[in-house]
Order: sequence, then C-alpha cells, then structure tokens
Amino acid sequence: MDVIVSTLAIFWLLLALSFILIKRGLWIFNDVAKGLSMFMLEKALGPATDFVSGRSGSASTTWIIHGLVWAFASSTFTFMGLWLSHDATALHSFESWGYHPDSSELLYAGRLTALFGAIGMLVVGASLYALPKLCGTHLASESNATLVSLLWTLSVLLMFVGSQNEQILGITILPVANLLLTLASTALIINVILTVSEATQEIPFPAWLIVYAFIGNIAAVLAVFASGAFDEGVGQWLLFHLVGGTFFFCGLAGVSLYSVSVGSGNPLWSKSLVAFTLFGAIITINPMGSTDPSMVVDLFSLSSNDLDASSRDVIAGSFLMALSAIPIIAFSANMLVTLRGADAFVENPDAPGIAELNLGAWMLIPIAIGSLFVQTDALGGVNELTGISQSIDLMAIWLVMMPLSIGSALNILPRASGRHQLSANRSRWAFWMMSGGAFLGLLITMMSDFTDMALTESMAEQGASINMELRKVGSVMFYGAVIGAIFHCTNTISGQYRGRIMGGPSEASLSSIAIESYTLTGPTSIRKILASGATLDTEVSPSEQSEEEGAPTEL
Amino acid sequence: MSPAQCLRGHLRWFGPILSRFARCVSVSIEVPSSVDEFIQGEKEPASSGVVVVLGFVSMLSFLILYGILFPGRDMPVVSEVLPMFEGVFDSGIWFFLLGVIFGAFSIVATMLTEATSE
Repeated sequence: MDVIVSTLAIFWLLLALSFILIKRGLWIFNDVAKGLSMFMLEKALGPATDFVSGRSGSASTTWIIHGLVWAFASSTFTFMGLWLSHDATALHSFESWGYHPDSSELLYAGRLTALFGAIGMLVVGASLYALPKLCGTHLASESNATLVSLLWTLSVLLMFVGSQNEQILGITILPVANLLLTLASTALIINVILTVSEATQEIPFPAWLIVYAFIGNIAAVLAVFASGAFDEGVGQWLLFHLVGGTFFFCGLAGVSLYSVSVGSGNPLWSKSLVAFTLFGAIITINPMGSTDPSMVVDLFSLSSNDLDASSRDVIAGSFLMALSAIPIIAFSANMLVTLRGADAFVENPDAPGIAELNLGAWMLIPIAIGSLFVQTDALGGVNELTGISQSIDLMAIWLVMMPLSIGSALNILPRASGRHQLSANRSRWAFWMMSGGAFLGLLITMMSDFTDMALTESMAEQGASINMELRKVGSVMFYGAVIGAIFHCTNTISGQYRGRIMGGPSEASLSSIAIESYTLTGPTSIRKILASGATLDTEVSPSEQSEEEGAPTEL
Repeated sequence: MSPAQCLRGHLRWFGPILSRFARCVSVSIEVPSSVDEFIQGEKEPASSGVVVVLGFVSMLSFLILYGILFPGRDMPVVSEVLPMFEGVFDSGIWFFLLGVIFGAFSIVATMLTEATSE
C-alpha cells in the first residue's frame, strides 16, 4: 500500500483547509468563536490566570527561560549517555537506589528534553513575541500562554521520567506526557489563531511559518491517524518526520528569519526564498532526525513495527526527502545573506544570539545532506549507514536546531522582557563552549561510529581499543555544551534583574575609536562617516562653518 | 595677693570658658553613643579573597602537619566518612557530574538571589 503519498495527501488537504479558514474565517460565527475561545483561554481557567502576569512579553520571557533550563538538563543527559556508551558501569552505584542508568536510555532522555524541552520551548517563546509583532498586534492572551508553559514543562518532565521508567504504578508515562503536551499545544494554537485574526497588516511569510509550525504539528498527527498509517512502520516514520518538518523546521525558520533581521538590523534578503522555505517545508519530507521512529511509538503508545517500506514508498519518500534540499538551502542562504547585509552589519555584530544564528545557518546544509543519505539508506532497507544515524541525529539537534533556537531566543528575550543579558562577554563564552563542545564531541563520536562500522564489515572478532578512546574523548568534549548551557542560564536569569535596560544607553560601540558626535562640514557619504569610527548612535551635527576659501566682506 | 583673690581672678578669666565647656559636655551627652544601624559596603574588597585563600592554605598546612606529627595514623572523622563512598565515585564521570551539580546549584542560587536581592 502506498502509505506515504496517501497520508501526505490528507496532510496537505488539512493544511489547505486551515489556510482557508484562517483567511476567510467562520462566516457569521466569527465573533462567537472568538468570544468563546477567549473565554476558554482566560475566564474559564478561573483564579489560575491571576497567578501570572499578563504584561506584554511576559509569556515569551517565561517560555524562553524554561527552554534554557531544559537546554542545561538535556545537555547533561546527552553527556551522560555519551559517557556510558564507553563506560557502561560508570553510574552503577545508582543501582542501590533501584535506578539502572543505561546509555541508550539517557540519550533518549537527552533527545526528548532537547527537542520538546529546550528547542520546543525556545521556539514557542520566540514565536509568542515575533508573531504579534509581524502581524502588528498583541498576543491574544499573555496570561494563558504563560500558564501553558508550566503545563508544557510538566509534560517534558514526565517525558524524562518515562524515558527512564516506562511504567509507574501501572501507568505508561510517555502517553500521559504526550496528552499534556497536546493539551498545551491546543491552547497555543487557539492563542496563535486569535492573534493572527487581529492582524492589522498583511501577514509576512515568517509569520505564516510560525502559524504552520503550530498547525502542522496537529495536522500531521491527524493525517497519520486518518489514513490508518499509524499502525505501520512507514506511517510512524512519516509522522516523526512530518512533525520534524512542521513544528521544528517551520518554527525554527520563522523565528530565525525574524530574529536575523531584527538582530542584524538588515532587511530580510529575499521574500521569495521565505516563500520557498514555507511551501517546501510543507510539501516535502524533512530528512533530519532519527531513522528509528520509536519516539512516536512511545509517545502515542503504538505497537512497534519494522520500517518495511514498499518500493513505491521508497521512491516517494526518497524523492520528497531529496526535494527538501530546496527549502533547506533557501532558508540557510536567506539567513546568511541577511546577516551580512548589503554592505555593513547595522546592529552590533557581537550581540548575544547572532553567533548562534550564524552557526545554525552554516551547519544546516551539510547536516541535512548527511541526514538525507542516512534516511534514504534506512527507508530503502539497505541499513549500511545505520551506525552513524544516532550521531547525525545528535548533530542535527546540537549543531542546527539548538543554535538556531537559542540564537533566536537570545535576540528576542531583551525585546520581550525589556532587559539585556547580564554580560555579552559571558554569552560569547557560552556560545564557544556549547558550539565547540557539541561540534568536536559529536564529530569524534562519529569517527568512532565509522570505526565500529568498518570493524563490523570486516567481521573483526575484537573491537579496536582506539574506538573506546575516541568515545571517551568525544563525551569529554561534549561536556563543553553542558558548561555553555549553565553560562546561558545564569547570564539570562541575572539579566532579567540586573541587565542593561532595553533602549537605555547603547554599548554597541565596543571599539575604542568609536566617536559620540560627528561634525558634518560638507557633503559626504555614509561610508566615510562610518569609516571615521562613527556608529549608529553617533550624533551627526551639521556645522555652520564653511570650508570655502574666505574673501573680503562686500560692503 | 591672697589665694582667695587669686582664685577669684582666675574664675573671672576661666569662668566663661568653663561654662562653655559645660555646655559642650551637656551637648555631647545628647548624641547617641552608637549608630545602631547595620552598615554594609556595596562592593566586595579585593583583599577579602586573600583571607579565604589564606584560610584554605592554613587548613592544608595543618593537614600536612598532622601527617608529619602522627605518621601512619588515620585522619579523625574523615577516615571514617570516606570509606562510605567506596564504590560510588569510582568512575571519572563523577568528576564531571560534580561540575553539573555545581552548575545546577548555581542556576538555582542565581534565581533565588536575584529574586530576593534589593
């Protein structure tokens, strides 16, 4: 049976229907639906809404801080998982407490908390600020969005528990976590749609990317269940990648494109490329992510099936994954050119978040190509590259999704909360620790994977000792990501209380030759003014003096 | 000049001074004898770290001195506590996990201190 095309047809139909409904509304039921939805978001929650601040930007701030704390937790779990892959008994002392830590379980916990806790919360947090700005309006319900962050965090906490202990008191934990996540997502979708319905200007493409990140997530689940593909390995694999292509890719693309323009001060390079990114993300299958759809199986409590794709599914899947190169390259190119601008970087290039956005945009294409090879290999049943599948998946998380989400969040947080991070210097340290640790750690781990694959192919009886050494070095290197996450957390939390107030005296001019005022004595170009050490905050004052040669006063 | 006349003459000169002094004394009695207020500097003095390091170095010196004075004897208390952790911290990962625990506490401490500071 042709699972992929039939499921995708339902998915596209649902997205088209949602687009029509957003644009056209519900005819005479518009006001009733809006009023009822607002009632459900705020009044129906009773006194719970009084516990949170409804100040503009408060929801975004809460989500972003939660996301950064989850980044610390996920980096710790991933580090422990990588360590236990070469030293399986390192944490055996926990067994006296009844806890049996295992490398694969800890890596699974790291993936769950990184995807839904860190990246998910950072993307949602950035979206809650960027979307209303792009639509020229306010978020429909700040207080509801703030409250929902607690529900989301609780669900991620349950995901961690469920990844370590499948059942507690006879209750399977991961489906419960997914149920809470779906509840939170539903509240967010209503909030987002209500916000978009109050748009006072034409909605730009990055805003549509954000809207489809939220809607696409639910549409993917509905499509897979409506087509009946949820019971097949291919259907489960497809759901995993559809959620990856909508919620994660569209969400990251939307907030990154907004942040890169706001952060650099340059206009977004190409509208057409954003349209390609949006259209391509919906039409194609994003190859990034694991080849193993066990996350979907666990979260939806499905029966696990092998990825046994028919030849038509292999062709359709491979073709659609290859097609995803278009939106990925379009997104990456748009980001990189916007960062550099036509001539100069208008805002402060050292501002927190800019370096992360740059790294994520650079790493996107090579890792997407690597993922494409691995996924095509797995879908076709060849399974020659399964050995590096986990490393590629971790690279996609820690070198593309995490930098893009943290970069966007660090750019947006000062605008949402009104205060900058405490120290730009510590933020820079955090970037180097996280990016360097993740890059070197995962690259060295991948080298070990390749050695493993070569030994398996040659049917060697004993493993190479260098392999374990490489894994050891890789895990130690990855520890940098943990330290970087700690730096980001403390810097951001302190910044909320003692950071420089947004809109206060700028410290953008880090150069010692920066000048405060520039006297304009005659016509000149902006390039010459900038070359003299002026910054965007330099005051240019025209001089009344003339440089023309003097002459006797005519009487 | 009799002593009485001499004393009277001195009083004529020193009388106003003495009365002023008496006024001064009475004024100084009205001033509180202590500030009665807790005062703390805003900035940490650079030399305070030296005191901590000095204390740490002294502690290490005394530990070394104990080993010299009582060779072969176990350290009191410490030698009884450490065996409890045998088999627990027997992997290098614990060195890193201590850093993680320190980081987690620093995040919590930052939240608490920032939220409660004036």
